[in-house]
Formats: sequence, C-alpha cells, structure tokens
Amino acid sequence: MKLIIAILFALFISGTAISQKCSISLTGHVEDADTKDKLAGAVIILKETGMQLVTDEKGDFIFKNLCSGEYNLLISHISCDSVIQKISISKNYHIDIFMPHARRTLGDVIVEAKAGIANTGFKKELSGKDLEETKGLSLAEALSKINGVTMLQTGSTISKPVIHGLHSSRILTINNGVRQEGQQWGNEHAPEIDPFIADKLIVIKGVDELKYGSDAIAGVILVEPKPLRNIPGYSAEFNTAYFTNNRQYVVSAVWEQQLKKLPAFRYRIQGTFKKGANAATPGYRLNNTGSEEKNFSITAGWKKEKFNTELFYSQFATKVAIFNGSHIGNLTDLQNAIASSKPDDVFLGEMTYKIRRPFQEVTHHLVKSKSTLYKGEHKFNVLVAGQFNHRKEFDVVRSSSNTRPQLDLSIYTLSEDISWEHPKRNNFNGVAGISMMQQDNRYGGRYFIPNYFAWSFGGYFIEKWSKHKWELQAGIRYDNKAIHTTRLKFNSDTINYDFNFSTLASSFNTIYKASDKWRLNFNISLASRAPYVNELLSDGIHHGTATYEKGDITLKPEKSVNISAGINFQNAPKTFHFDLLLYSNSIRDFIYQQPKPDNPVLTIAGAFPLIEFQQTDALLSGFDASASVKPTSKLEWESKLSVLYARNTSIKDWLILMPSNRLSNEITYSFKDARKFSDNYVSVEFLNVMRQNNIPDERNGKQDYKAPPAAYHLLNFNAASAISFGKTKISIGIGIRNVLNTAYRDYLNTMRYFTDEMGRNISIRVKVPFNYVYH
Amino acid sequence: MACLLITSCKKDKPEEPNEEEVITTMKLTFVPVGGGATLTYQFDDPDGPGGAAPTQNEIVLAPSKTYNVTLQLLDKTKTPVADVTVEVQSEATAHRFYYEPTAGSNITVSGLDNDGNAVPLGITSTWATGAVATGKIKVTLRHYPGTPPNKAISDLVNSSKSSTDIEVEFNTKIQ
Repeated sequence: MKLIIAILFALFISGTAISQKCSISLTGHVEDADTKDKLAGAVIILKETGMQLVTDEKGDFIFKNLCSGEYNLLISHISCDSVIQKISISKNYHIDIFMPHARRTLGDVIVEAKAGIANTGFKKELSGKDLEETKGLSLAEALSKINGVTMLQTGSTISKPVIHGLHSSRILTINNGVRQEGQQWGNEHAPEIDPFIADKLIVIKGVDELKYGSDAIAGVILVEPKPLRNIPGYSAEFNTAYFTNNRQYVVSAVWEQQLKKLPAFRYRIQGTFKKGANAATPGYRLNNTGSEEKNFSITAGWKKEKFNTELFYSQFATKVAIFNGSHIGNLTDLQNAIASSKPDDVFLGEMTYKIRRPFQEVTHHLVKSKSTLYKGEHKFNVLVAGQFNHRKEFDVVRSSSNTRPQLDLSIYTLSEDISWEHPKRNNFNGVAGISMMQQDNRYGGRYFIPNYFAWSFGGYFIEKWSKHKWELQAGIRYDNKAIHTTRLKFNSDTINYDFNFSTLASSFNTIYKASDKWRLNFNISLASRAPYVNELLSDGIHHGTATYEKGDITLKPEKSVNISAGINFQNAPKTFHFDLLLYSNSIRDFIYQQPKPDNPVLTIAGAFPLIEFQQTDALLSGFDASASVKPTSKLEWESKLSVLYARNTSIKDWLILMPSNRLSNEITYSFKDARKFSDNYVSVEFLNVMRQNNIPDERNGKQDYKAPPAAYHLLNFNAASAISFGKTKISIGIGIRNVLNTAYRDYLNTMRYFTDEMGRNISIRVKVPFNYVYH
Repeated sequence: MACLLITSCKKDKPEEPNEEEVITTMKLTFVPVGGGATLTYQFDDPDGPGGAAPTQNEIVLAPSKTYNVTLQLLDKTKTPVADVTVEVQSEATAHRFYYEPTAGSNITVSGLDNDGNAVPLGITSTWATGAVATGKIKVTLRHYPGTPPNKAISDLVNSSKSSTDIEVEFNTKIQ
C-alpha cells in the first residue's frame, strides 16, 4: 500500500509544479444570488493555472502567489448552476460572486430551509467529515452515525439500518434515485449498496417520501452520488482503508471526465473492492466471520440546456461468512448455546480470509436511465430502471462435496417513473408523477417464500408554498399492488394465491423560521404498507432463531399516522446549537411475529416453537435531541440522545427487538492549519447504550430465549488531517472503535445469543483526490 | 435490460424447487439375534417440516432378547426416494448418532459402529431388552460443522462442537 501511495504522490506532484514567482492575492466571497446565503463548499477553479479551492464556512476563498494577467474563474456549487467569471488582475484583488440557483428544484433536491440553520427536523444528512469517517464501513454502519438511526445486525458483517425502531420493508432505500428492490424482508438481508457511491446519505421523513412510495412508514434513506462534472476536465479520487481487527482492506477509486470538444458528455467510472478476515472479540477470534465485496458502477450523462439524460449501471457483489458456532439444529441446541458463556473452542481462534459454510452470496445489478426535458419553465423527468437481485444462502450441509446453495432467491424488477414539475407561481411550486413497477421473484432450494409476480402502479402530487418565514408542504399518493404467487408442493401440486392491495398516503409539513436563530417544524404523515410476501406466505424453519415461521394470507395493509415536531436553535456566532425532534408513530394493524407456545411444530429435528405473523396496534414514540457547544473556535462538544418507547397497544405490552436508548458525547479539537497541513482534528466519543428493559411480558407468550444484554459504554477515537502536495490535498484519517477493548453484546445483534461483539478495531484511511481542468 | 424485460414478462410454471437437506423419515430395522421376524419402526413426515403432521410408531420388542439394529434415513420429497444414510456414511467423521433410552425402559444400546477414526457413528447398533416395561428412547443425529470437525469419543450428545440434525423420541414397549 505504501508503494501505491508513493507512486501516486510522485505522479500528482510532478503534474502540479507552478514555478513563476508572483505574489498577487485574489480573495473572494461566494453567495447564493437568491437567498444571500454564504456558500460553503463551493469549488473555485482558476482555469489558467488549474489551481482549485473550496470556500470555507463563510463562503470565502483566497488564491495566493498569482501573477498579473487575465484569468477565468470557474465557480461551482452543488445546489447552483456553475458560473464563469473573467477577471484581469495586476494587484491584490477581491471579487464577490453571486451564484444563481439551479433550475432543478423539487425533482432532484430535497426541499430544506434556506436559512443558515441546518435542517435537522425531518431530514438528517451524513456528508463531509462525518461521512469520511465511515469510509470502509457498511451502509448501515455509516447511517447509524445519524441520531435516531440504529442497526439490526447478524454478527459483524451483516447490518441493516433501523429508523426510530423500524426496519426492512418499512424503510425505502433510494439508490441514486431508484427504489432498491432486493430481498429486504429478512432480518439478515443487508441493503445491497456500495456506500462509496454516495456523496451524501440522507434520511427523510414527511412530504418528500411520497415521491418514492406510500409505504415509507419509518422513512426514506437516500443514497446520493455527486452530480457529474460540470467543468471540462477530468478528476480522480482514490480511497483506501485498512482495519486491524479483522485485517480488512478496502480500495475504492473513481474517475470522471467532461470532454473539452464535447462538453455535453460527461461520464464517471467507479469501483470498490473490500475483503475482511475473521473478526475478534476482546476474548477470542470467531471462525468464519470474513467477508468480501466487489462493486462497480458507471455513469454517463448528456447535458444540454433544454434536455439532459443519464445512464447508470451498478453492480454489487458480496460474499459474507456467518459464524459457524451459531449453526443451530433445533431448540435444544439454541438453549445449550445460550447457556454457555462463550462458543466452543472448535469455532474459535482461526485467522483467515477464507469463507466457509454457512455463508451468503448476494449480487445486485441496477440499470437506470433518467432523462429531463425542459419545456418553458416546465420540467419533465422520465426514469426507467431495471434491477436484478440474486441471493444465495449456503447452509452447513452433510456432504462436503456439495457446492449448491440451500436457499436461492432471484428477483427481477422493472420500474418506470414519470414526473412533471410545474413552474413556480405565486410562491407555489409542485411536482406530480406516476410510477409503475413489475417484479418477478423465484426461488430454488429450500422453500421460504413462494415464486411471485407483482405489478404495482401509483400516482402522487406534491405542492409546496413558501413565503417569508413560512413554508407549507402537502402531498398525496395512491398505490395499487397486485401479487400472484405460486408454490410447488412436493407432490407436484401448485398452491396459488392472488392478492390485491390499495394503499393511500398523505403528508402535511410546515416550517416556521421564527428568526435566523429559531426554526420550528411540524409534520403529520399518513402512510400505509401492503403486507410483504414473506408476511403472507413464509412457511419454514428459521435456523438462526430455531423457530418455525408462518405467514398469514389474511393480513391487511398496516396504516400509520406519524406526527413529528422539531425545534431548532443556533445562535448568531454559531457557537451553540440545539435541536429536538419529537415523534409519535401510531400504527394500526402493525404486522409482527407472535409466538404460539401451545402449538409447537414437530419435525424430525425435534419440536420447533411456532411464530406467526399477526396484526396488532402499535405506538412508537420517542425523541432525538442533540446539542453542540463551541467554547472556543477550536473546541466542539456535541451531545446526542435518542429515546424510544415501542408499545403493543392492543395487549398493553412492549414490542420485541426495539433499539435501546443511547447517549453519545463527542469532543472534537481542531488544530490550526500549519504549512502543508489543514483540516486537522482529533475527536473522542463516549457512547452509552442502555439496557433494553422494555421487553414483552412472558405471560403473553415467551418471545425470546435470552434476556437483553447489559448496558455498554464504548470509547471511540478519530483523527484526520489533509496534507497538501502542490494542488493535491491528501486526506489521512485514523479511527479507533472500542478503544478500551470492552467486551459487550448488543440487543439488536442476533449473535448476542452466542458471542461478544468485535473488540478494538483501529482503522487507517487515505484519500487522494486529483482534478484537472482543460485550458 | 432487454433480457430483463423478457424474463420479467414471461409467466410460466415454477420449476421444481430442488430442496436439499430434507430428511423425512427415520427407519429402524430390528433383526433378532438367534432368529425371529424382522421388525421395522419409523418416524415418517413425507412432506417435510410443516404441512401434515408426522406419524410415529411405537417400538415394540420382545423381552430378554438382543437385536441387531440398522438405521436408515430417507428423503421422500424426492422421486425416487433418496437414501440420506449414504451421505451420512460418507461424512462419518462429522456425524454421530446417540441412543438414549429412559431409565426403566429396560433397553440398553451398545455396539455402535465406528467412523474411520474409531469414534462411534451409530448407523448400526445392538439393542438388548430386559423384562416387560414401557418407556422412551431418544435417537439423535449430531452434525459437526467445524473444520476439522474434531469429533471425539468423549463428546456428549449436547456437545457445543456439534448441532442437531435429527432428534426423535419413540415410545417403547417390551412385551
């Protein structure tokens, strides 16, 4: 790895020498022309020299040591159209730049408050430094840095995001504008997305959910890539990371270009490779806990003033080992495993990258075409996407020569979305659209869910009104889904069921900016989710939990009323910030699994407890609070608290498997830029995760075999710096998770029955960007 | 994309799912030492886990007799019926049967056959009966998922090295 970095250093430095002795300074300030917001993060390129800067928090930038002469300045910002400014300088010079707002409004960007206060009420975002710290981690691990988002895990390699206690099919994941259609229903089915694609990870609730579906009961996760290049030239970025605990290494690279002769055409190629060996807890190393990931994507775009189109293809392929000490044959095995404090020695102590049974192999392909047409002030979008997801699960088998998967699911999805954005009139703007989807699911090997074909169509309409301190948004959506299922029984009979569900959703959101400091936010959303095929028709043994799972064909859609209120404060010098989000999600006919202790299923492997999908009424309420203080410009203390109460209101009991309350305190110290070193900081985080005491009463049917694990406290460390070599800025980061090597178990990790969580994990990451602008 | 379109739109009969690892039936064949009629008793769940409930015989043996017992595992969801015993035999070092009669059943099981490492396997065994009695016997097949399996003579039925493939309890009667 050292060698690669050295070569890259040499390559970049050689291309960057600027040898003239000149001493003029060019200072500048960038603002949004409409809102007068100072634009941080705008990219300023001096075309003649190729020098590149990014504006600071105040929207300021400075180029030093320029020679007199004529220059072309290229200014670009993510939410604005690019600007070219010609200047002639002979002495120190200052320029103010006003950036016009991009014509893309509702369709691409999520409406947020334009004031200087960060919008944290119903949209939470992970980008910049926080996203950098998660490079090399999974999508769910990265998202769990957002307050209110936690993880549902199977060991250290499979994790899926949980928003305010809900997960799987209650969360819509939008990968580069396309609704992800994989096998999300399973607790050990992680989202099939390469986080390196993302420039931003965003969690939204409220009106904007309606663009993606009526079933976002928990919210929507947006995985947003950077827009394609807007300045002729090329750029590359190389990321690498290494993790000591499981010797995991990650290499990711991206190359993009906009041609000089054909500036309408832009493209990007991106790829990631990741491989990890067996992970270690503080006391022992767990055999067969490695993983491997190979991802690739290519984007090509054509952009003209009245028309632009983009073609995107991505491929995600992963192979994930599952700790073989967790292989459970029946209930007695599970009870024995739970009774022992650590797994048997035959399952421990091996340091290898090799993956053996049981393991999962998942591939996901996505092809997307998106076109935008401007007709006057009207904007039309057409999005067509195809997805193919193939999941293979390899169990422990009797014969070692068997190479076949025991569970084999493939799902083909085709989706079409058309939307229309009307021009802004009398402070109103809005978007309407229709979406359609066709889906074909097949299985081979063991039965768990049937073959099915599903068709859905839906339509939505969203209007937004904003004036002075107010923003009002409202929307409505209707969806219809028809499902035709087929299951072949062992004696060649087929069992067919047809379903048809109509779901309606609507949402109303209001934002009131009381002043530059205060912002209030209120939302009420109605969502409804049709039952998933696994909830209707699953029928089989779930080996991870030693239960016999059974669906119910009479399930109805579940309907939620989600009320949230947010308050946001930031003082003028930006040294203190506070926000609070209160929510209450009342779900009628909430689908959950109820144990039936009186009806065990007798099999040749013994009696398995039966759990059946059922409906009840649920109420999930809680709050996310965060505050940050900057006693000096270098020191920042941030505190985040997340609390959830999840009730089964029909039987006045708690719901199972809900994240416990947690408090995180992080202190960051930023060092002054020194010579070649900039963006230097160190941070220490104390994470306190409470014990989950709110669990279902055993008198309503024993739902769990083991009491929730004890509370735990983790200490994490992060440090980063950017080193300039000519115009290339290489970022280096060091992270230590679980500094004190604490042994702990998490309630939302199925492996808590068997093993401790991963011990201390030190990571090092390096990012090398490179940019060239055509003269 | 085109192929995606075609496969998505094609509506056809599902293929026969190739379900593996199913054991529907455990058959015990008793050959009395010194002559007599051969007896067979079984646990039978022809449609696999779920669906129709399994049927199970009571094991009825004569008093004060010795039987040579052979165990056979079948998968009746396949046509023709698959003999799973062959698979277990070929991976003998990663499998082990246990026979646990309850106290008072007046049955003792011994003479289990061994795997290649001289550790008991238990596809064949010898059952000796005492006086007239009723009781139960539990037959368990344990599978060692580790690499190497590290199967040892001293391993108990609930060893944390192995997991359960089969666990069937028969009622027994000596009359």
